[in-house]
Amino acid sequence: MAAFVQLVILGLLAGGVYVAVGVGFGLVWGVLNIVNLAHGALVIVGGYITWQLFTAFGLDPFLTLPVDAVALFVLGYALQRGVINRIIRAPLLFTFLLTFGVNLVIVNILLLIFGSDFRSVTPTYSGQGFELGGIVIPYVRLASLGAAILLSAGLAFLLSRTRIGLSIHAIAADRDAAQLVGIDLRHAYAVTYGLGAACAGVAGGLIAMIQAITPTAGEPYTLQAFVVVILGGLGRVSATVVGGLAFGLVEAFGQSIPGSGSVFANAIAFGLMVLVLVTRPQGLMGRLR
Amino acid sequence: MRRWAVIAVAAVATVACGGTSPGEQTTGSTIVLGAPLGLTGSLTKESTLTQQGYNLWLDWINARGGIVVNNVKHPVTIKYYDDTSNANQSAVLMQKLITEDKANFLLGPYGSAATATDAAIAEQNEIPMVEANGAAQSIFNQGYKYTFGVLSPANKYLQGVIDMAATLSPKPTTIAMLSADDNFSLEVAEGVNTYAASKGMNVVLYKKYKNGATNLSAEVQAAKAANADIVLNSGHLQEAIAINKAAKEQKVNAKIFAYSVGPSTPDFITALGKDANYVYGGSQWTPQVKYTPAFYLTVPEYVAAYKAKYPGLGDPDYHVAESTAACLALQRAIEKAGSLDPKKVRDALAALDVTVFFGQVKFDSRGINIYKPMVVEQIQNGAHHTVFPDSVADAKPQYPTPAWDQR
Repeated sequence: MAAFVQLVILGLLAGGVYVAVGVGFGLVWGVLNIVNLAHGALVIVGGYITWQLFTAFGLDPFLTLPVDAVALFVLGYALQRGVINRIIRAPLLFTFLLTFGVNLVIVNILLLIFGSDFRSVTPTYSGQGFELGGIVIPYVRLASLGAAILLSAGLAFLLSRTRIGLSIHAIAADRDAAQLVGIDLRHAYAVTYGLGAACAGVAGGLIAMIQAITPTAGEPYTLQAFVVVILGGLGRVSATVVGGLAFGLVEAFGQSIPGSGSVFANAIAFGLMVLVLVTRPQGLMGRLR
Repeated sequence: MRRWAVIAVAAVATVACGGTSPGEQTTGSTIVLGAPLGLTGSLTKESTLTQQGYNLWLDWINARGGIVVNNVKHPVTIKYYDDTSNANQSAVLMQKLITEDKANFLLGPYGSAATATDAAIAEQNEIPMVEANGAAQSIFNQGYKYTFGVLSPANKYLQGVIDMAATLSPKPTTIAMLSADDNFSLEVAEGVNTYAASKGMNVVLYKKYKNGATNLSAEVQAAKAANADIVLNSGHLQEAIAINKAAKEQKVNAKIFAYSVGPSTPDFITALGKDANYVYGGSQWTPQVKYTPAFYLTVPEYVAAYKAKYPGLGDPDYHVAESTAACLALQRAIEKAGSLDPKKVRDALAALDVTVFFGQVKFDSRGINIYKPMVVEQIQNGAHHTVFPDSVADAKPQYPTPAWDQR
């Protein structure tokens, strides 16, 4: 029983990272209709900012998360305004090509700056945790889950309670009508992408504490974000939270299959995604659009 | 652009050949070696180390005027291409090196996957490839005649750790084996599974995970539940770091933590800080080993030469050393063959038996070096120390590993 509870906890804690990676991806996909293949690269940029601030100034990695968010917002805003806006109405394939290209450029710039060494943020409390009746709960992972939930709550608040959030919702609902009522599309698009990038940056900061990063380490996260968003459902932040935690749980249980079963942990997650697509195309918690 | 490069190479070669006037019989044609390496992409780190190893030898041999074949000195160039860490691309470039760049001999790429695809190209073209970074035995079980690996094969990677563990007191008896699911890692793991019993040890958990996995907490949890004395991982640097972090988080207190790949690289220590202490790793070579070389540099000279050429990078790790060793094997074979004919050099490689700073280089009938032992390293107070076998060790193993909350 204790082993089962431990596994559930580990799964949920791992899910925190997937939530953080997923919310930004889901926002960009839902509003801009862009499957952002550069998302993983943006995640790693955030990871490097955290690592740099931690090693150069000894800043606590959790305090660097707002820096990640702001820096990535600026980068994301500029990317959308300067590059991606040009093809926003082009067929889907073009957005794939362009964001994949952006991904390559970012990865190679990171390689030039940081090299391919593995970096990891290891603060003094790294790896420590508390025990509750034989169940171990590591501080860093717990705090990461907390940060991911806070991030999602902040994003949800921004989208539902602020003027720019409402215009983003309006665009998602009907692009042309939004323009008719005076919403500056180019600006709103760029803010949306910037917010997505900011979330990616925070996720990267968390990932730098949990694993070792290299410039190419972001690629699996693009894929995971895709699965998380489909599992949860497009169009709502809370749905992505559910999707991320579900993905973490499925992964943990997949990995705990004895013998070589854990090789299929990813396959199981993807299988679940297909199942959800077949039975509930809107996702576990999504709304039909 | 490419055509200009070919013309430029041809021009240089012409000048080199034509420059030899009848009076200076000592300088012959330039020997062109070819190597595709993952200079971008996921294997950049290891590929760069491989290139450093090749270039260290290249500087040394050209400072001596080149490889001596029948009293004629042949200068050497190495032509590199970036295979973007993609094994299929590596094979395409290997063919290009042979047909377009007229490479006389081939040096291996980084990694078992690319070495496997390149070995097929070497075989088709009947040009010897000496490689230093593909340890999977599956490469050498194809009946190839033109591929030679100077490094110990995969199944030996963690056997040294088992041998060492058998000498410790209290003797550890149970093993939890975690492994990535790529060919190389699985061979390392299978090597342990078949070898452990002969040392009176029992593999109580054998768990495979997806190659490149970023989250391994459930696997580590299984190792904790198995309560094994020894936790082994057969994977790559990133997975080794992830497992070590998870082991601390989940308070897994084994007597020995040993990882096939990872601990020997400086990144492992910088990424983990003091949590890297006490971790063991199998290594092809360490800067502390004591071998008496028949030619080229001694171990301390080699370390000094590396530090002079690549300042600020610390000691050379085994990727660098084994890559240099591949060049040395090829050099010695060309000298023994007394010819640049690929078939004769192949036969000389097959018959080679020489000890260099890297250890004994000798190939079995398949072309892999099963004669050199693996050594065991342990990280002690943030520094690498060789702890096994005793004959080459510079420190005693710190055993057992203290519990995480007592460090």
